[in-house]
Amino acid sequence: MNDMRLTERAVGTQTTKITARAVQVFYGDNHAIKDVDVDIADKTVTAFIGPSGCGKSTFLRCINRMNDTISVARVEGDILIDGEDIYDKRVDPVQLRAKVGMVFQKPNPFPKSIYDNVAYGPRIHGLARDKADLDEIVERSLRRAALWDEAKDRLGEPGTGLSGGQQQRLCIARAVATSPEVLLMDEPCSALDPIATAQVEELIDELRQNYSVVIVTHSMQQAARVSQRTAFFHLGNLVEYGETGKIFTSPEDPRTESYISGRIG
Amino acid sequence: MTDATAPIGAGQGSLIQQDSRTAKRNAAEKRFKMYGLAAVCVGIAMLIMLVTSILSNGVSAFFQTTIQIMVELPEEKLDKSGVRDPEVMAKVTTFGYAPLLRDGLQKTLEDNGIETELSAKDAADLISDESVAQLRRYVLANPELIGQTIPVEVLASGRIDGFYKGRVTYESAELDSNVSPEQLDLAEALKGADLLKTGFNWRFFTAPDASVTRPEAAGLGVAIIGSFYMMLIVLCLALPIGVAASIYLEEFAPQNRFTDLIEVNISNLAAVPSIVFGILGLAIFINFAGLPQSAPIVGGLVLTLMTLPTIIIATRASLKSVPPSIRDAALGLGASKMQAVFHHVLPLAMPGILTGTIIGLAQALGETAPLLLIGMVAFVREYPAGPPEGLFDPATALPVQIFNFTQRSDPAFVERASGAIIVLLLFLLIMNLTAIFLRRRFERRW
Ligand SMILES: Nc1ncnc2c1ncn2[C@@H]1O[C@H](COP(=O)(O)OP(=O)(O)OP(=O)(O)O)[C@@H](O)[C@H]1O
Ligand SMILES: [Mg+2]
Repeated sequence: MNDMRLTERAVGTQTTKITARAVQVFYGDNHAIKDVDVDIADKTVTAFIGPSGCGKSTFLRCINRMNDTISVARVEGDILIDGEDIYDKRVDPVQLRAKVGMVFQKPNPFPKSIYDNVAYGPRIHGLARDKADLDEIVERSLRRAALWDEAKDRLGEPGTGLSGGQQQRLCIARAVATSPEVLLMDEPCSALDPIATAQVEELIDELRQNYSVVIVTHSMQQAARVSQRTAFFHLGNLVEYGETGKIFTSPEDPRTESYISGRIG
Repeated sequence: MTDATAPIGAGQGSLIQQDSRTAKRNAAEKRFKMYGLAAVCVGIAMLIMLVTSILSNGVSAFFQTTIQIMVELPEEKLDKSGVRDPEVMAKVTTFGYAPLLRDGLQKTLEDNGIETELSAKDAADLISDESVAQLRRYVLANPELIGQTIPVEVLASGRIDGFYKGRVTYESAELDSNVSPEQLDLAEALKGADLLKTGFNWRFFTAPDASVTRPEAAGLGVAIIGSFYMMLIVLCLALPIGVAASIYLEEFAPQNRFTDLIEVNISNLAAVPSIVFGILGLAIFINFAGLPQSAPIVGGLVLTLMTLPTIIIATRASLKSVPPSIRDAALGLGASKMQAVFHHVLPLAMPGILTGTIIGLAQALGETAPLLLIGMVAFVREYPAGPPEGLFDPATALPVQIFNFTQRSDPAFVERASGAIIVLLLFLLIMNLTAIFLRRRFERRW
């Protein structure tokens, strides 16, 4: 109990970046997200865990309005970033997505060169003044995604020619190249070996200095290692949300308890 | 299940011995392969039959028999005024030139010691009537030649030409009012003196159509220009309109009843018989908009209407085949929808779009029915001018020209028609090869 108050205070000093209130998502008749309220803090790593199909990706996609691209999807409720409602009519989703980057569950590099993959975001947002600038962004992003050593000699080769895990890191590099304020990562380590996973986790920890990171993961250990806060989803409900240490040591809800001890999911 | 002692699992039993199920499956597979092979063989056999029949009829159209004669161009007959003004000289019609060729042939025969019992007029029948007009045009274009005796290569008449292509024989000449065995003898004598030759027929590609009695002079010049103009119009209109419409429908349009309706209608349009487009063109472009008949512009517009659905369907299919994850990736980086489409989706869909466009163009190139209705079937001897004015000049098109040739009774036109078919097929082949080449060129590996 005492321990919990301490962590509450630790998080409480940070400002809230994303606020979600009564968020509902429907895919046609399928009610995929049910009445989710959540506050995601700035400069924090928040982990979403939960059994497959419980709506983690769906909720993540609400935060950068990628659900707009799915014609059957309907989002209700309010999501605020820095106090601004992102579902406001005046909000341009294009501008929002430049601010809220995303790494998708399935690696989806462009069928272009590795260099062009990473350089695409900075190019369309005009982040680089000249070629040297762009080169530097590309190198830094690839280094952060732990791909530089493998890719530096083959920047001109197609990104689709990389292995699955390398593609995943390429997508991470591509997402960080645009320096978003919020980074949404949907199972970024699902195809990575332990070494690359460790590197990506290191990156996530580093990103925390400046950004708010939301990560979906199926690995309890990973959630425990990288995140400060954890949200447990189950059948579209946000069952429990709180300080990571607390969720893993003394969950309040029996469903959370049985999930992290491996009884559901 | 029927045999209680048989092992239940699929993977049990010896690997060396095929079980009955596997054997049955393999037999079914083998049978299916045989069916496929048979189907392919039938297709190839049909193709070979088609190609050989066309080639055997049409290759001779690419060769033409000509006669070399010396023609005197007397001033008192061609330009009495002596000022060499083509406008004045034009008063002398082809009737004035016909005797020149006749006399020229007689003189050539004398010079080469060839004797014949034929009258000068019958002997001159060896020469195509078209040659008189050719000579006149040549002289009008080069007035300074008047007064000289010049060598002229004239077309042999259709029957003489046919004699050297195996279409006319001595036996058939006996029965033919257009040619006599004596004339064939004379042709042979000319050939002996190396004055009559059969060479490659460049004129077939450049000359305009000729009247029904002069198959030897008929060419595809106007038809090729007309077809080329129409392809140009179709490409310039159908490609941008079709691609823009498809991109809009596929990437931007909301999914609702209205877009569903459009989609159904586009599919229906693709299946509308082409002659209907011809009627539409006649009603709208000619009767309502007042565009000229027989003009490539009208043909091009009609063919554009006809090709659009094909291009739209092909483009939408290739846009659809681009994985949505690519769009997500671009949108997720903060690209606008248009950037996502133009930077990523369109380049990936390009091979499919180009293939669809070229298939549409090829279809348009071979289309005949709608062109008949808008008057492209007219007999056109004047070359259309260069674009853009030429688009409004009368012209014909290759497939219509083929249709035209087949309507004529002279058997020499069968040869011309088949020759024109070969030309058309060659164009189609070139277009399809371009499509394959472009597809290879733009294809990206995943
Ligand atoms: N594009 C879609 N169209 C319709 N239904 C969808 C779509 N995407 C997801 N769903 C439905 O929404 C629910 C939640 O899916 P979601 O992808 O968010 O699960 P998830 O928690 O990310 O699962 P996983 O861990 O397997 O990735 C599922 O029932 C799924 O069937
Ligand atoms: Mg998911």
